[in-house]
Amino acid sequence: MSNTKAPSKQVFWTHAQQLEKLPPCQAQCPNSGDIRGWLGIIAQHEKNGLTSEQAYDQAWQKLTELNPLPATLGRICPHPCEDLCSRDGKDGSVSINAMERFIGDWGISRSLRLSMQAEEENSASIGVIGSGPASLSFAYQMGRRGHRVSIYERHDAPGGMLRQAIPDFRLPSAVLDAEIQRVLDLPVTLHKNIEVGVDISFSELRDKHTLIFLGLGAQAARKLGIPGEAGRGVISGIAYLRQRKQRVGPRTGARVVVIGGGNTALDAARSARRQGADVSVLYRRSPEEMPAASDEVKDARHEGVRFEFLVSPTRIIRDGDEVREIEVQEMRLGEPDTNGRRRADPIPGRKRRFGVDTVIVAVSQAPDWTGLDLEHTGHQWLMTEEDGKLAENLWAGGDDRGPAIAGKAVAQGRLAAEAAHAELCGERHDIERQDDRALQSGQVKHDFYRAQERVCRVRRPPEEWLDTEEPEIDQTLGHEQAQEEAARCMSCGLCFDCGACFMYCNGGGFTRLEESHPGHYFALSLDACEGCGKCIEVCPCGYLEIREPEE
Amino acid sequence: MTMVEDLGRLSERSGQQADALQDGSRVAVVGAGPAGSLFSYFLLNMADAVSLDISVDLFEPRHFCHRGPAGCNHCGGIVSESLVQRLATEGIMLPDGVVQRGIESYTLHMDVGDVEIETPLMEKRIAAIYRGNGPRNSEPLDTHSFDGYLLELAQEKGANLVPRLVTDIQRREDRMSVHCADQYCDDYDLVVIATGVNSRLMESLEDGSHEFRRPGRTKTFICEFHLGRDVIRETFGPSMHVFFLDIPRLKFAALIPKGDYVTLCLLGKDIDDELMEQFFSSPEVTNCFPGGFIPDHVCHCYPRINIDAANPAYGDRLVMIGDSGATRLFKDGIGASYRTAKAAARTVVFHGVSAEDFEKYYAPTCQAINRDNRVGKVVFGFGSLVQKSRFARRGVLRMTSNEQQQVDASRRMSEVLWDLFSGSASYTDVFLRTLHPAYIGGLLWNLVAGNVPGAKRRDGHAQEQEVDRVEH
Repeated sequence: MSNTKAPSKQVFWTHAQQLEKLPPCQAQCPNSGDIRGWLGIIAQHEKNGLTSEQAYDQAWQKLTELNPLPATLGRICPHPCEDLCSRDGKDGSVSINAMERFIGDWGISRSLRLSMQAEEENSASIGVIGSGPASLSFAYQMGRRGHRVSIYERHDAPGGMLRQAIPDFRLPSAVLDAEIQRVLDLPVTLHKNIEVGVDISFSELRDKHTLIFLGLGAQAARKLGIPGEAGRGVISGIAYLRQRKQRVGPRTGARVVVIGGGNTALDAARSARRQGADVSVLYRRSPEEMPAASDEVKDARHEGVRFEFLVSPTRIIRDGDEVREIEVQEMRLGEPDTNGRRRADPIPGRKRRFGVDTVIVAVSQAPDWTGLDLEHTGHQWLMTEEDGKLAENLWAGGDDRGPAIAGKAVAQGRLAAEAAHAELCGERHDIERQDDRALQSGQVKHDFYRAQERVCRVRRPPEEWLDTEEPEIDQTLGHEQAQEEAARCMSCGLCFDCGACFMYCNGGGFTRLEESHPGHYFALSLDACEGCGKCIEVCPCGYLEIREPEE
Repeated sequence: MTMVEDLGRLSERSGQQADALQDGSRVAVVGAGPAGSLFSYFLLNMADAVSLDISVDLFEPRHFCHRGPAGCNHCGGIVSESLVQRLATEGIMLPDGVVQRGIESYTLHMDVGDVEIETPLMEKRIAAIYRGNGPRNSEPLDTHSFDGYLLELAQEKGANLVPRLVTDIQRREDRMSVHCADQYCDDYDLVVIATGVNSRLMESLEDGSHEFRRPGRTKTFICEFHLGRDVIRETFGPSMHVFFLDIPRLKFAALIPKGDYVTLCLLGKDIDDELMEQFFSSPEVTNCFPGGFIPDHVCHCYPRINIDAANPAYGDRLVMIGDSGATRLFKDGIGASYRTAKAAARTVVFHGVSAEDFEKYYAPTCQAINRDNRVGKVVFGFGSLVQKSRFARRGVLRMTSNEQQQVDASRRMSEVLWDLFSGSASYTDVFLRTLHPAYIGGLLWNLVAGNVPGAKRRDGHAQEQEVDRVEH
C-alpha cells in the first residue's frame, strides 16, 4: 500500500478508490432491479467477447434473477426507474422499460428457462394462495431454491390482476402465458379453480404445507355508496375488465361514464372506447392528483376519452331499470391530506348532470377475505413485517398489503421468499440496504458522455389503436434500437471501461484485467498512485472517488 | 493486422507505396493537444490552398474547459517568444485570456545570490499559459485554456471534434482503422498520433509491434500554489524564477506566476520525494514565498516528459507528431509540436502519406530536433557542473549581474541563460555562443573575480536586493 510511502511534506495526495455506487434507477425500482447490470451486459458485450445474442441471454438471466416477468413488466410498469435517470439531465432518460420489454420478449422467443439455485435438501412444501405477480415471484424464488410449491388460484387462469384487469392492448395474454409457464416449469404446481374457503379450507392448507404465502391481491371492488348504484348499468371497473378480457361481454351503452382516476379507471375507459362507446372519466381532483400514469392519460385522450375533473358523483338517476343520468357535485382543492394529496372539497350548490347509459365504478379495491379465517382481517390491509412475515410460517405480499404497482408486488414476493427460505434453513436474513452507497450529485459527469437521442418506444400508428384484432399499441424495440438504447446507459457508479483512468494515469496505476465483465475492467495499484486525483476527475460515472487517508 | 507489418514494411523498404490523399480522403488525428490541433489547422489550410477536399476527425475525449488535472495537459505553461512570433505569422494571435501573464524577466536563484535577467529585446515577451482551464477548484474568472484555444482554431478550420477515447490503431488492408473505448471503429486514409507521452496509446502500439519503440520518458513534478494576484505581483513580479541548486538529478526548477497562482515545475531525472524534500527545504526556494513560508499546493501531478524520440515516428498512412514523435529536451515542447505538426502537414498535402514520403520530408524535422537535443544534453551537462560547484556559480552570477547593470554592454551570459531557460533558441545555437572567445574570456575573468574576496561587492548588490524583498 502506498500509505507506507512517505510523501513529501509539500505534496498532498489524493488517492483514488474504486467503489460501486447505487445508481438512481436501481434506487427507484421497487424491486431494486440491477438495471445498470443488465444494460451493461448489452452495451459492453463486445468488450467482453460476447455476441449480441449471448449478451441478450445473459441480460435476461440477470434480469430474471429478481423478476421472472420481464416481458410483462416491460409492458405495464410505470417505470419509476426512469424518473431520476442521470441521462434525463442530458438528453432524456434511458428507455429502461422498453429495454426490459425487449429483453423479456427475447427470453420468450428463445424459450429461455429460469435458472435454478437448487439445493437438494430444500424441499419444504409451500402453499401459495393467489397467482398474481407477488405469488408468482414468491413461487419462482422458492421453486428455484428447490422447494415444492403449490399455487391455489380461484380463477381458471393464473396471473391475478395481470390476467384479470390489464387489457390486451397493454398486455397480450400470450406474453403473460409464456412468462407464467416458465415459473410453472420449476417445481411449481398450479391448482386452478380452487377457492380457498370453498374448495379447501384455510386450516387444511396450513396443515398440508410447511409454509403459506398469501398473495390474494385486492380483488373486491369498492362501491360509491350513492343512490341508484345498485342495479343494471352500473359495474365495477375490475368486473368490467375481467369480462372484457374473457370477451364475454358486457355490452356497454352508447354513453359510458367511468368514475375514478387510477389505472383501472383508465383501462376500463379505454376498453369501453374499443367497444365503440362515448366515454368520459370523472375524477374528483385535478389532473395533477391522478394516480394513473400520465402516459396512460395521454393515450386515453388520444383515443377520444374525455375527462371531467373536480367532480364527485352523488346520485345515479334511473328511469325504471335503466341508468339515464349521473349527478355530480363540483369540487375544489383544499389543503393536502396526510398522504400529501390535496383534498377535494365540495363547492356548495354546484351540481351538474351527465347523460349516461353505463357507469363503470373504479374508485378502489380491497382484499377479499371471504373464506380466510385469518385473525388479521380486522385491518383492511395485512400488516406484515417488512420482509412480508405475517405469523409463524405465514407470509404475504402484493396488493393484500396495500395497493401498489406490479413491480412492488414482485419485490414483496421475492423478499418474502428470500426471508422465508433463510428461516426454513435456520439462517438469519436481513434485507439488503443500499442507501449508504447512493450516487451523489455531480459524481456522474455529463459532458464526458456523447449526446445520443433517446430511442422512444415503437408504437403502432394512432389510427390503428382502437383496432381490436391487433390490440397491442406498443411494439418491441428492434435489435439495433436496443443496442443504441443500452449504450445510452451512463453506468452511474460502476466502471464501464471508458478507459480514461487507464489511459491518462501518469504513474500507470491501472492495469487491464484479463477476465472482464461490467464493473470489472481495471485493477488499481496504490503503489503506483501519484496522488494527483486525475483519474477521479476523468472518471465519468463516479466509480472512482477520493479515498479518505488512513490514520 | 497491427503496426508490426506496417513498420516491418518500412524497414524492408518494399511493399506497395501508400497513395497521397485525394478528394474525400479521411484523416484521423488522435489527441487535440497543441500538436494535434495545429496539425489539423495546418493540414486543412494547406489542403484548402491546393483545393484538396479532405475531412479531419480530431479525437479528444477530454475537455480543456475542465479545471484541475482532468482538463490539463501537464506542463509548466511557457510559450517562448520565438513561438509566439511564429504563431503570429500563422495568424494565430494568443488572446489576453489565454496569456496568464507576460513574462518580462527571469530571476536566477542560486545559493551565492540571485540576479534578474531582463528580456534581451524589449519587444520579446514570453507567455505564461494554462494548458487546461486552470488549477483544481480555481475561480473561473479569466482563465482560458491554451489547448482549448488551439482546438477551437482547428474546429473553425473545419476539423471535426470526436469526443472518443482511442484505444487502438490497426492496419486494415490499405487503410488504418481507429478503435475507441466505446466500441466505435472507423477506417481512415491517414492516422496522426498526437497523444503525447502521458497517454498509454503509444504503449499499446509498442506492445503490438516489434519494430516500433515509443519515446523514452522520465518523471517530472508540477504543482500550483494559490497566492492571489496582488501577492504574486509583489513577490514574483512579471518574472519567472529559476533555481540553480546543487541537488542531484534536478536539471531545472522554476516558479512561473500565472494570475492568482504560481506554477512550480521541476525537471530532471526521475523526480522523487527525496529530491523534492531537498528542493522544498532550500532557503533559495522558501525565500521566494511571502514570509518564507511555502503554502499547501492546490493541484499537483507528475507528468512524464520525453528523454528521446519515437523510433520510427512514421509508417505508411501513419505519423507521430509532437511529444509522440520528437520533441525538444526539457523545453519548448509546444514549439516542437508546432514544427512537427507543420512538417507532417506539409508532407501529407504536398508529397504523400507513405512511409517513404514521411522519411523523405518529415523525418528531417524530427532528426534536427533529436540532433539538437544531443547538444542540449551537453549544455545541461555543463549546467550541472555549474550547479555542483559553488566556485562556478559565483562566476556565473557575477558575469550576469554585471551584464544586467551595464546598459549598452553585450550580454553574452544573460542571453545564453535566457535562451536556455525559455527554449527560445536551439541548444546548438546556445552551445555555439558559449564557444565564442568573448564568452569564454568573460566567464574565466568572472570566475576569478567572483571568487576573490575583494571583488565580491558587485554580486553582493543582488544579494542585498533579495534580503530586502524577503523583509518586505
